[in-house]
Amino acid sequence: MSSIYLLIPLSVILVGVAVWAFFWAVDTGQFEDLDAQARSILEDEDSSRSGD
Amino acid sequence: MKTAASPKPDRTAVSLEGHWASESDGQGHVVFNAEGIRCANCARSIRNGLGALPGVTGTEVNVVNGRVSVSWNSHLTSLGAILAIVADLGFKPVPLVGAAAAAARREERRASLKRIGLAGLGSVQIMMYAAGLYTGAFHGIDPALAGFLKWTCLLIATPVLLYSGAPILRGGLHDIRRRTLGMDVTVSLALVLAFVASVFNTARGQGEVYFDSVTMFIFFLLVGRHVEMKGRHQAASVTDALARALPATATRLRAVTDDAERVPLEQLRPGDRLRVATGEIIPVDGTVLAGIALVDESLVTGESAARQRAPGEALLGGSINTGSAITLQVTSAPNASALHSLVRLLERAQGERPRIGLAAERMASWFVLRILVLTALVAIAWAFVDPSRAFPAVLAVLVATCPCALSLATPVAIAAATSRLARLGVLVTRSDAVEGLAQVDTVILDKTGTLTTGNPRVLETQTREGLSSGMALSIAAALEESSRHPVAQAFRAHGAREIRCGDAREFPGEGIEGHVDGRLWRLGKPAFALQDGRAHPFTEDAGILLADASGGAAAFVVSDELRPDASETVAGLRALGLELRLASGDREGPVAHVARRLGIARPAARLRPEDKLTLLRELQAGGHRVLMIGDGMNDGPVLAAAQVSMAMGHGSSIAHAAADLLLLRDSLASLPESVAVARRTLVIIRQNLRWSVAYNLAAVPLAALGFMPPWIAAIGMSLSSLLVVMNARRVLSADVLGRKPPQGPRRTPDPHHTLATEAPQ
Repeated sequence: MSSIYLLIPLSVILVGVAVWAFFWAVDTGQFEDLDAQARSILEDEDSSRSGD
Repeated sequence: MKTAASPKPDRTAVSLEGHWASESDGQGHVVFNAEGIRCANCARSIRNGLGALPGVTGTEVNVVNGRVSVSWNSHLTSLGAILAIVADLGFKPVPLVGAAAAAARREERRASLKRIGLAGLGSVQIMMYAAGLYTGAFHGIDPALAGFLKWTCLLIATPVLLYSGAPILRGGLHDIRRRTLGMDVTVSLALVLAFVASVFNTARGQGEVYFDSVTMFIFFLLVGRHVEMKGRHQAASVTDALARALPATATRLRAVTDDAERVPLEQLRPGDRLRVATGEIIPVDGTVLAGIALVDESLVTGESAARQRAPGEALLGGSINTGSAITLQVTSAPNASALHSLVRLLERAQGERPRIGLAAERMASWFVLRILVLTALVAIAWAFVDPSRAFPAVLAVLVATCPCALSLATPVAIAAATSRLARLGVLVTRSDAVEGLAQVDTVILDKTGTLTTGNPRVLETQTREGLSSGMALSIAAALEESSRHPVAQAFRAHGAREIRCGDAREFPGEGIEGHVDGRLWRLGKPAFALQDGRAHPFTEDAGILLADASGGAAAFVVSDELRPDASETVAGLRALGLELRLASGDREGPVAHVARRLGIARPAARLRPEDKLTLLRELQAGGHRVLMIGDGMNDGPVLAAAQVSMAMGHGSSIAHAAADLLLLRDSLASLPESVAVARRTLVIIRQNLRWSVAYNLAAVPLAALGFMPPWIAAIGMSLSSLLVVMNARRVLSADVLGRKPPQGPRRTPDPHHTLATEAPQ
């Protein structure tokens, strides 16, 4: 039963890591253009779009 | 807690001044983005704040795209003072021009995503601990463990409230300070009450905690606002795409030395000479001085084919020079160029709120007051019945009654419709035009320039016995060869090399006389061609007659040609159940010809502008709602008097500010779809209003009677707003005509262009 006192703080830390990862993803522009990647396989030219 | 947004108004003013502020005759005008506009009440607080400043003559705030447009008397106040007030109200003024506006939008989008991410992760996590607490409440739980779980919830809920909930709390605080009642007030009240009560109960180790409700409410509110923000950004990108088209500098040639210098656009004055290299954008309106330009005007007029412009011809600012380098002379100030008037028109349309929207805004304020009274009553009633249930009931009422959905209902739908119509090449210049367009039942069409291309052609030829119509046309073409009369162009296409006329003499306003093959011919008005007043064997309405000494030889009906998409458009409009009328100032012959080809009954010809107006008034007196479509020259009065009017945007008619809608492409093809989009939009607005009122009416009693715990109220409210926004977005992609919507802008070949360069057969 006392293991819960270890697991719950652990879960809080995991949430913290998840939030940090999400913030990082937003800041590096991962969510800027969700269509570009899907479209890119249809384009003939081999030019990769660079995120801004 | 208020983080005073003080974006150094002075610096902003400088960057704004260059691009978007214009001052003339003591009147200033500016359009800028105000970050932080979320609701109708924010808009009102800006309007009231600026209205209180002496010298401000007009303020328009667009809730949907976050734009503020202000006019002021520059003797009494300055742009700096205006921006400072907006900043003091808690909104950050951001210049509207290209990169800066886009970067501001990106920052707003990212901040919003982060808030949603934190709120989402936090609420899921808290839900997990709350599930433990709920089961514990039924099956028994170690009080120490329950306390531990509650403290953990508190630990996670605090950053969610302070970071994710910050814009909501800030909005609520501002509303209270300014003593206005916005929906942020009730929402913030609910959040703060629930959070404080939970912290208190956690600390004393007994009583309910509402951390799950708080975080979930924040999460759903933010998702709703995020969707709304994306719609707003989409609307803004349409106008920004237009504005971004202009470069920041231009290459000016010095007066005497012809040295090139790069100067900011704002410094250009009419009369300046500019050099525009191949591939460069023509920065302002002007005329060609040297070189032959090949311009792509697609951005300004929607016209896709490149056009040639020789010295002396006009150039539109915003078009791209795809030909060789040219020198041009500036004819308008940069703020007055065609592109700028176009953008201003669009801005005006987006800023003027339709009447339904205004009503909803007034309703929202009235609503919030009632809610606060109701909440107090609920609290008092429960205090007598069962004090322990008073608090959850109060929270539930506050959450369930959030009028977000109600005040979003109209603006989001109109914004979506405006954006969709822009994609169709229809510019909405007055936003209640969408509403009007939806309710139209009769369409009056002008002929020349609207149903037809405006370029004259020979439509019908009648000849006397023994003369072929080809021969008659060739003779006419020979006579007209050197004439500059517009009608001459119609005949010239039929010229034949071996038939020539060496001595054509023009009688202005009458016709042409000359020898062809040794015989004297006359071409022109029947009275001129048949000098001795003899009768001719042709129908009465024949406009132009060809005659020789022996009498009338041929009669021509010359009029401009029908647009290639005219019959398709007419059929499409008819399929929508619209009654069509043709009203033209032209003669009976060509009007009847066009009406016959399009199957329009009772065409009216030879109408003066006041006759058109009479026709319109008659229809309106009969209870009809009329859409007038014209090219704006002699149609001015009718366009202004009709319920909704649409002007063809070709040529110089961008200035047809009288019309509610402008057709940017020189084509009618998008007309039926536009009407269908407007109708769909109105249906969706009504659905939205009905839904949001019904939801609030249903939820309030449940919440007040204690049947609805705060967390269910939170989900319900947020889903209700989300539903309204999603429903409005259906306008963007709805298959309104029962076929697949076009992907991207539809390009139609320009009839003007093809006709002008057509080789003679």
